[in-house]
Formats: sequence, structure tokens, C-alpha cells
Amino acid sequence: MDNIIELKNVTFEYTEEDAVYAAVKDLNLNIKRGDFTVVLGHNGSGKSTLAKLLNGLNKPTHGDVLVDGINTRDEENEINIKRKVGMVFQNPDNQLVASIVEEDVAFGPENLGLAPDVIRSRVDDALKAVGMYEFKDSTPHRLSGGQKQRIAIAGIIAMEPECLVLDEPTAMLDPKGRAEIIETVLRLNKEKGITVVLITHYMEEAEKADRVIVMNDGVIIEDNTPKEVFKNVESLKKVGLDVPQTTELLYELSKNGFEINTNIISIEEAAKEIKNALHLEEN
Amino acid sequence: MAILEVKNLTHTYGGSSPFINDAVKNVSFCVEKGEIIGIIGHTGSGKSTLVQHLNGLLKPTEGEILFENTDIWENPKEIRKIRSKIGLVFQYPEYQLFEETVFADIAFGPKNMGLKDEELTACVNEICEIVGVKKEYLQKSPFDLSGGEKRRVAIAGVMAMKPQVIVFDEPTAGLDPKGREDVMQIIKDYRAATNATVIIISHSMEDMALLADKILVLSKGEVYKFGKVEEVFASAEELRKIGLNVPIVTRVFYELKKQGLDVKTDIFTVDSAAQYLKTLKEGKENA
Repeated sequence: MDNIIELKNVTFEYTEEDAVYAAVKDLNLNIKRGDFTVVLGHNGSGKSTLAKLLNGLNKPTHGDVLVDGINTRDEENEINIKRKVGMVFQNPDNQLVASIVEEDVAFGPENLGLAPDVIRSRVDDALKAVGMYEFKDSTPHRLSGGQKQRIAIAGIIAMEPECLVLDEPTAMLDPKGRAEIIETVLRLNKEKGITVVLITHYMEEAEKADRVIVMNDGVIIEDNTPKEVFKNVESLKKVGLDVPQTTELLYELSKNGFEINTNIISIEEAAKEIKNALHLEEN
Repeated sequence: MAILEVKNLTHTYGGSSPFINDAVKNVSFCVEKGEIIGIIGHTGSGKSTLVQHLNGLLKPTEGEILFENTDIWENPKEIRKIRSKIGLVFQYPEYQLFEETVFADIAFGPKNMGLKDEELTACVNEICEIVGVKKEYLQKSPFDLSGGEKRRVAIAGVMAMKPQVIVFDEPTAGLDPKGREDVMQIIKDYRAATNATVIIISHSMEDMALLADKILVLSKGEVYKFGKVEEVFASAEELRKIGLNVPIVTRVFYELKKQGLDVKTDIFTVDSAAQYLKTLKEGKENA
């Protein structure tokens, strides 16, 4: 099957003071196996609700979510679904449970009832995959934010999920920590073929995604490649979002009489584009 | 005139236990009245520990904090008074909303300072005006507001005490771009209205470039650098070594240089970048 996750006419409602609100409205979405998808949207646009729908932490009010063909309403398959789709949250401190790194990573596989030697190799592999193997005997609270978050990711990887859903994993991290997480996630996607759904407020983190989804008021308003999505500077700003600084600079230049492509995100390409535009004027 | 002076501040957690840890080591810096100081540093660099000393939430293990030339711990019984003069907005301050109405939440601080009746109402109204809390929200429960609006109310609660120095610990964390911009605007508006001195911890180099006059860089609990924005962002290499970086737009200019173009690299905002490149282009056209 091509799609690891399928959402079919999914609505998620919640009740507050007797009024019913829909956080996600009649959503249809397929996540292709092996894809790297970034979800953008302002606070309250339904991103986190969507994330929790993907592994059955939220059950749809209407419609169905299928994980590898299994309906998340199917209670008998609950554990199976959570094994297939692992989640990482914003605050690393809330996700670590043990006082030694490798014990923390082993927590999931132990609960799956795996044999000790299997657990051992999964923990080692997971720690290597996030670049934290040398810290396996350390205490998590002595590590940096980015390192702690990588341990949290290793804990999920050790369960060998097919899909990793990360809900603002870099919100509390410094620039280096943010870069570490994005590199790690990209590597897991490219080298291990793990499907990734990354929710973020940092526009530049969408640079290397295969697909960017923009949510607004519980519906998808954009669904395209990063370059295509960030073309629409003004419409993104209207829904409380932004574009990466690189794109913004090129956009400003184009408004100021530069003949320049604005659908560019990476620093290298932006520099090349600016260089070309300056040279063109010379001739 | 220096409004705040931190002198040889050291804070040690864990006392004599085996987990003894110097969170802040021999930190000294001076804040002039009306400045906006940004504090940057890797996670665990001691930023939050440092700012919790500024209004007496933590007591220095060694060293002192001078507010208007007086040690804030000179009379320990009076330490609470310092908290209305030096206000601290914590990380995710919206988690600390607790009153039944937005009005009561914002009024909590000034009420504790002894304001009542019309004076209290006037104070709350004034701050709501400055930070843009809508009048119709005042009788609502703070818990019915959106995330961004909750944070606005929480910040207003600290500002309502009219602190001369206001300290923010990552005020934009977890917000969407519009929310980040709103919070930055609130800070600018408060400063414009009160001439307050502002200290902000942030992980966003881009925000710091837009907002700060000076930046204090912490690394492993020590001052790595303290100076004007252009001085601190002058070396991307150095900053990267300690887990930080220069703004993305600055990195574009480093890359241009690498690609052989003779450009400045001391450009830290999109506006100044566009301006500079425009001048460069016009220069070439006229040459």
C-alpha cells in the first residue's frame, strides 16, 4: 500500500462550556509512505489535533483515520497503531522517564515484551541513528535540550515505527539544538525510510520537506512543495504565518526592481540568485 | 546611568551534594536605563538562572545585584518590593493565569501593591490600552482566550505593576510567526509608553537582531560576550562553536562572500539587507 496514513472526511469536535467546536473539519489527507511532510499553521489552527489523530490519541468525531489500513477506532489494534506511528512532543523534559539514557530508550521496547538481546540491539541502533550512542550511560538531565530531544526521538525509533509524528519538537531549543533535530529527522527519513510528519512554527524547517501542508481553522488551505507554498508571501502572512528569511529577502528585492526568483529557501540558492541578479545588471 | 548592575554573580545548585553544579559563574554586566538587552545562550547555559536573580527569586551564592546602585538583598525583608520594580515574565506565562476574569488576573499585581477601586481600574485599563487587550475580554475567563491572547494577558499582568525593568524569559517560545510579532510589538509599545528597561532571553537570533540594543551571550554559565548587536553578531564562527548562530539573513551574506562577491557581512535584518543590496545594484548601474 502506498499510503501509510489515510484520513477520510475527518472531523474532530470538542465541547467547551456547552458549545461544540470543530478543531479539524472534514479533512481528507493521505500521507505517502516514505514522505517528509511539514505541517504549518497558526496557534489554534488544528495542527496538534491533527497530529494526535494520526496515531489514535484523538479519535475522529466523524470520518475515519486508517493507519496502514487499520482504522484507529479499532481498539484491538490500538497498540499496533501506536507502534506504527510514534509521536514526539515539544518539551523534551516531559518525555524522558529514566535516569540513564539507554534505560530511557529501552522503555518502549521493554514494554513491547521483546527479548533482552533484541532490546539491546534496538537501543544501540536507535541511539546511533540519532547520534547519541556515546551518551548511552549519561544522565538525561545533564544533556542539552537538543540532546534530550534526540533521546526522546531514539525512544520512539527503538519501537521501530513506520511513521514519526513530531509536534513542534524544536520550539524550546537553541539554534544548534534545532539544527540537530532537523538533521536527525531528515536522516531517519532518507536513510531508514521512516515517514515523517513534522509540525513546526519555524518556516525554514520546511526547506527540505517533500510536501508542506498549511492549516487554517481546521482545514487545509495549501498543500504543495515548500517552494510553491512559500511563493505566496502575502497569503501566508494573512493566516498568521511567514516565509523563511531567505525567501522574504528575495521577495523584498523583487519588489525593489530586482529581476529575481523568489521561490527559493536555502541559503546557498538565495546567495546564487542574488549574485546572478547583481551580475545581470552589470552586462 | 546604570539602572541595574550584576557584579560577580555566581549561583551554585546542589550545595554540598555530589550533584553540585555552578549554573552561573562570576557573571558581571551593566544595564543602562532604557536599553533593550537580549540574552542568548545554548540550553543549559544559565540564562533562566541568571534572570531569576534579577528580581530576587534566587539569591546569589556569591556576588550581588545592584538596582539603582543599591544591593537588592540589602534588606532581605524588603525583597518583595523589588519585584514590582523589576518584573519577570516567565516562560509560557499563560500557564500561570489563575483568576476568574481577565480583569482580576491583570489586577492581581497592582492590587498586591496596594492599589484599589478607581485607581486599580484605571491602572488595568491603561495597561490594556498599551498592550492591546480588548475591553470586551476583561470580564471573560482567561481560559476562554486563544493561546496568543492568553500570553498577552499574562504579560499585561506583569506590566500592570509598571516595573522599571521588565525581564522576559523566552516570551515568543511556542508561538506562530504572527504571535511572535505581536509579542515583540507589545514589548516595544510598553517601552515606548513607559521608558522601561527591557531584558529578553531568546533563542531567535532573528528576533534579537530586530529588537535588542545589546546582547549578552552566555556559555556554560559564564559571560562569553557582551556588546552591541553588531559586535556580537560579528563572528558567526564563534557563535556556532557555542551552539548559537547569526540570523539567517546574515548567513546569506557569508554565502555571497564565499561565492566570491565583495559584500558586507554585518547585516542582520531583512530590511537592511534589501536596502544594502539595492544600493549595491544602483552603484553598479551608475558605474
